[in-house]
Amino acid sequence: MNIIWTLAMKDLRILLRDKAGFFFTFFYPMLVAVFMGVIFSGAGGDSGSHASALSIYVVDQDSTEISQRFVDTLAHSEELQITPTRLEQAQEDVRLGKKAAYVLIKKGYSKARENMFTSAAPVVEIGIDPSRRPEASLLTGLLLKYGAQDMQQVFSDRKQMRKQVQASLQSAREHPVGVSANLESFLSSLDSYLADTTSSASERNGHWSGFEPLKIEEKEISRQRIGPPSSFAVTFPQGVMWGIIACTTTFAVSLVTERREGTLMRLLAAPLSSYHLLGSKALACFLTTISVSFIVMLVGILVFGIRVASYFKLALGLVVVAGSFVGVMMLLSVLGKTERATSGIGWGVLMVLAMIGGGMLPLFFMPDWLKALSNISPIKWGILALEGAIWRDFSFQELLPPYLILAAFGSVSFLVGARLFRWSEHT
Amino acid sequence: MIAFENIRKTYGKTIAVDGISLTITPHQVFGLLGPNGAGKTTLVNMAVGLAKPDSGSVNISGLGSPRNPTVRLNIGVAPQTLSLYNDLSAEENLECFGRIYGLRGAQLQERVAWSLDFVELRERKNDRVKKFSGGMKRRLNLAVALVHNPEFLILDEPTVGVDTQSRNAIFENIEQLKKEGCTVIYTTHYIEEAERLCDRVGIVDRGKLLALDSVDALIKQHGGNSTIVMEKADGEQTVETQNPIEDILRLQNEPGLLGFRVLRPSLETVFLSLTGRTLRD
Repeated sequence: MNIIWTLAMKDLRILLRDKAGFFFTFFYPMLVAVFMGVIFSGAGGDSGSHASALSIYVVDQDSTEISQRFVDTLAHSEELQITPTRLEQAQEDVRLGKKAAYVLIKKGYSKARENMFTSAAPVVEIGIDPSRRPEASLLTGLLLKYGAQDMQQVFSDRKQMRKQVQASLQSAREHPVGVSANLESFLSSLDSYLADTTSSASERNGHWSGFEPLKIEEKEISRQRIGPPSSFAVTFPQGVMWGIIACTTTFAVSLVTERREGTLMRLLAAPLSSYHLLGSKALACFLTTISVSFIVMLVGILVFGIRVASYFKLALGLVVVAGSFVGVMMLLSVLGKTERATSGIGWGVLMVLAMIGGGMLPLFFMPDWLKALSNISPIKWGILALEGAIWRDFSFQELLPPYLILAAFGSVSFLVGARLFRWSEHT
Repeated sequence: MIAFENIRKTYGKTIAVDGISLTITPHQVFGLLGPNGAGKTTLVNMAVGLAKPDSGSVNISGLGSPRNPTVRLNIGVAPQTLSLYNDLSAEENLECFGRIYGLRGAQLQERVAWSLDFVELRERKNDRVKKFSGGMKRRLNLAVALVHNPEFLILDEPTVGVDTQSRNAIFENIEQLKKEGCTVIYTTHYIEEAERLCDRVGIVDRGKLLALDSVDALIKQHGGNSTIVMEKADGEQTVETQNPIEDILRLQNEPGLLGFRVLRPSLETVFLSLTGRTLRD
């Protein structure tokens, strides 16, 4: 183990003294994570929040001509995109984040609208996630605007107005004693009624609406998070994977450099076994990969406010991913005869795997066919293992498939690479 | 002692070593001469365990094959390619390889210091190798091979690309090692190096050992006659001779004679007579 440690430390020392290698290994992944994070910021998990029309459900429990007229008004608005549905469906979808909010037109809406002078304002309920204050305020404003329009329609339509008055008279006559005189007075002279509001029956009974177009009740629907809380929670795992790709390629090339410079020959002539040589390269690659991943994640957590669901699972994920890519490094190191060829093969293969595996475009943005194709990429499973610990909040059972796939991929790559290395160096 | 016993090695259809048997006795400098592609490097690689013979065996000091890592503890190698880590200092290179050969603590520090002194690089020990001249790198390449104090030292063309001063320093190093009892296998293209340093020389070509003996014995066996060059006023005249003194006495009264020169056969004559004058790729 001493020899493996000596050789691994030698590799790390050489890496740290190579300025270009150091930059691409330690800083490049960070730049990728921050750059992509800025590009994707706001587009990560709050889909629809910046859309031009607010997409909402409308539930009409009143189911009358008047309530339907209000629904139609909302449907024709430019600011809203409505979908009629049942209350249960609306609540569930808002909870899952599929819709921004729902508007519930409660039973009695039309009655309240018809008895404008004697009843409380029609009641409309908004169901929305408490964290979406801007959308809630916008929606409240829009509902008041269209409620007022609805009320204005009543005043501007003679038939409608008369219907209102008659309905109000009827309601007043059914009311307890002493009301009808005032109402008779109101109906004969609206001005004197408005001047004498203190004596109105509705005031005394606490039902005076003050011609409020709508009474809006807000119901909090706590949203179940199914997307990342921020774009950086997506791009930093991607950054970690780019760091791992850089380490993998750097160490694959370093083995070829040792071959070119003759140091590998000297090592092979020393009292070492292949186990020592490959073990030391693997250890150096693993330690560098873990260090890079740790630094990238630390910056993500401290500077960009990434919240990690489980630090233990994140650490475990990093170990599994790093271990897997040590195997990939071993395989790459024997595929090219020169540093240029190995570097080309390494970046070429890993870049393609990164593209289809979510290293550039986040997995949840991908079309279904690309998501299916991404299953062949270890980058996808690496990202999933990290995201599962950071924001997907995977259980160990859910993390097991990525772990097993990465372990299998790494083991097979390492064994094939080691076999080819032994074959090429000892014939 | 290093014993090659009827070893054979092929690469595809090319026969690199074809049934060579050879014993290198302790405390000697053994020179391995041959044109390009003769099989020298393959022979050296088999001596250090880098290549496995297709048939035959290599035995190091009766301990067994150099394919066994433990046996390789006794061997130091200075490959023709400068096998050094350019981003490490001279001292770091020596420490790294010293540790690989099992040295630790004070013993490691002592051997590193000795090696640096031996090749006269102590003052540059903290400089990175990439800043070294070709000659300094060659000397460090030798020091790395010596850091673990090996019983056998294999030097593959150790003076390629170095200036006269560094070459002379390396010669002195090898002569010093010989005095201290180290067994050296020395491959080279430079015949005069073999003549100066080697107790015995083996000449190989096309995978076969063509001749093996001391330099003098090889010249006697394969060098042919000496040549007397008579310098006259009208030019030079040459006479082949088996006994130069006797013939010079006989020729001293030749008319117009200004002087004599005697050209004795050299190792180069032997080498060319055995391997031919055809250019090799």
